[in-house]
Amino acid sequence: MNPFQLLQPETLEEALSLLNTDDPSVRPVAGGTALMLMMKSKVFTPHTLVSLQRLKPSLSGIRLDDAGDLHLGPLASLRDVERSPVVAEFTPVITQAMQTLSNVRVRNVATVGGHLAHGDPHMDLPPILMALDARVRISGQAGEREVALPEFLTGYYTTVLNPSELITDVVVPALPNGLSGTYLKYTALSADDWPMCGVAAFVRMQGGVVAEARVAVSAATERPVRLTGVESFLRGRRPAAEAFEEAAELAAAGVHPLADIRGSSGYKREIVKVCVRRALEQALAARTRNGGVAHE
Amino acid sequence: MAELQTIRFRLNGRPVELAVQPYETLVEALRRGFQMYSVRESCGQGLCGCCTVNVDGRAVSGCLYLAVLVDGCDVQTVEGLGTLNQLSPVQEAFVECEGFQCGFCTPGMIMMATQLLQENPDPTDEEIKHYMSGNLCRCAAYPEIIAAVHRAAEKLRAQTAAGNTPATAIMAQR
Ligand SMILES: Cc1cc2nc3c(=O)[nH]c(=O)nc-3n(C[C@H](O)[C@H](O)[C@H](O)COP(=O)(O)OP(=O)(O)OC[C@H]3O[C@@H](n4cnc5c(N)ncnc54)[C@H](O)[C@@H]3O)c2cc1C
Ligand code: FES
Ligand code: FES
Repeated sequence: MNPFQLLQPETLEEALSLLNTDDPSVRPVAGGTALMLMMKSKVFTPHTLVSLQRLKPSLSGIRLDDAGDLHLGPLASLRDVERSPVVAEFTPVITQAMQTLSNVRVRNVATVGGHLAHGDPHMDLPPILMALDARVRISGQAGEREVALPEFLTGYYTTVLNPSELITDVVVPALPNGLSGTYLKYTALSADDWPMCGVAAFVRMQGGVVAEARVAVSAATERPVRLTGVESFLRGRRPAAEAFEEAAELAAAGVHPLADIRGSSGYKREIVKVCVRRALEQALAARTRNGGVAHE
Repeated sequence: MAELQTIRFRLNGRPVELAVQPYETLVEALRRGFQMYSVRESCGQGLCGCCTVNVDGRAVSGCLYLAVLVDGCDVQTVEGLGTLNQLSPVQEAFVECEGFQCGFCTPGMIMMATQLLQENPDPTDEEIKHYMSGNLCRCAAYPEIIAAVHRAAEKLRAQTAAGNTPATAIMAQR
């Protein structure tokens, strides 16, 4: 790695003021799992890193607020999320997705904030949070703002964050009663590889028809996306095999997969189709099983 | 530019200090400063577990962890579990079950198995495979490694049944 200096602010204010500079090589570092890889491969050669480690006591809480919304502190580790009874109670889909993400050592260190700020389309949590209408709270010298995930993730490894801003909270609104779901991850190279396609699907039934469907696709696409066309197609329909089949066709037609070592664009489009159909079936079945994650 | 920074931490229970570069990894620092050669860099990417070190009770990949960040922490390597004459129960189990061939992955396997058994005293085959999926063995001694984790679990249960706390049972008995 190239030589850099590491600053360790004690407070959020101090961290924000250290980041408030025109030097583009000054960056925050949380768990460092993503940045270390980038620095080792010399994709990123910083002069100064601002470590957020010492903010952990104040910014790693996982809690429900009075309205029942779930808050994930940006410095909570993915392992904290995995083992949190609050999260498991809120939705087992997040808990179970964490269990198949990389390995215990990475989850012990990687943080929620770094996971989102990295903007890597292959991450497992963003599609789930997107389907759950999560918002990211951001602080900078100029003040605070809250951004919904589809606007937060602007493209391939890019987000709406300015270099001098920090994620300070992730808010998942209380789930409507009866919403059941799943996260289906398809890995191409080995069981514990990064996903080639990730689908988060949630459904809510009323009077035998789909009252609400939420579908987000990631990894195969350049950034996680909500498939609103598929969602409105499903609304009001009976959850029959043909409806899910047709929804899956719609999903595949609406995505533009990038070719890479995990597959060609056309192959990934087929995988998106299969994964969306299966995810919808599993989301429906999860009504009785109380959520679940499937790994293909 | 970058300046050496002196960090103070506990290494296998002993207070130590070391001047490190801010960009030095924990693997590099432990090997350079303390001859902790059980900590090895192989993939350098968090995938293989050869560099497993315990920091404040959590297993981390030393290859992806900056040494400066262990300032004030409790750091444990396999050297801290037991000695050549007095192995820890997990170490003993690996020897008895021949849970290795070349031994390169073994310190990481033992660190990870130790943490697994602290969280789950009686894991199933599936639970062992899942928990240790981030530890790779190029010699593919996996069946023996899994057997060793079961054997270690039995040893630990016997010790706790005999009145040892789980925290002391996991260490070599002196
Ligand atoms: C071997 C390996 C396998 C992996 N496999 C998977 C996988 O299968 N699925 C998956 O989803 N993930 C996987 N991961 C990725 C892992 O989830 C990310 O590396 C991790 O979540 C990033 O978190 P971090 O805290 O380590 O980020 P860091 O490396 O510290 O930071 C990443 C980026 O976020 C910025 N940042 C960090 N915190 C903040 C903040 N609070 N506000 C603003 N910006 C911030 C940093 O400046 C940097 O640009 C894997 C990682 C490794 C090493
Ligand atoms: S060398 Fe660190 S995990 Fe492989
Ligand atoms: S024993 Fe040789 S790598 Fe595992």
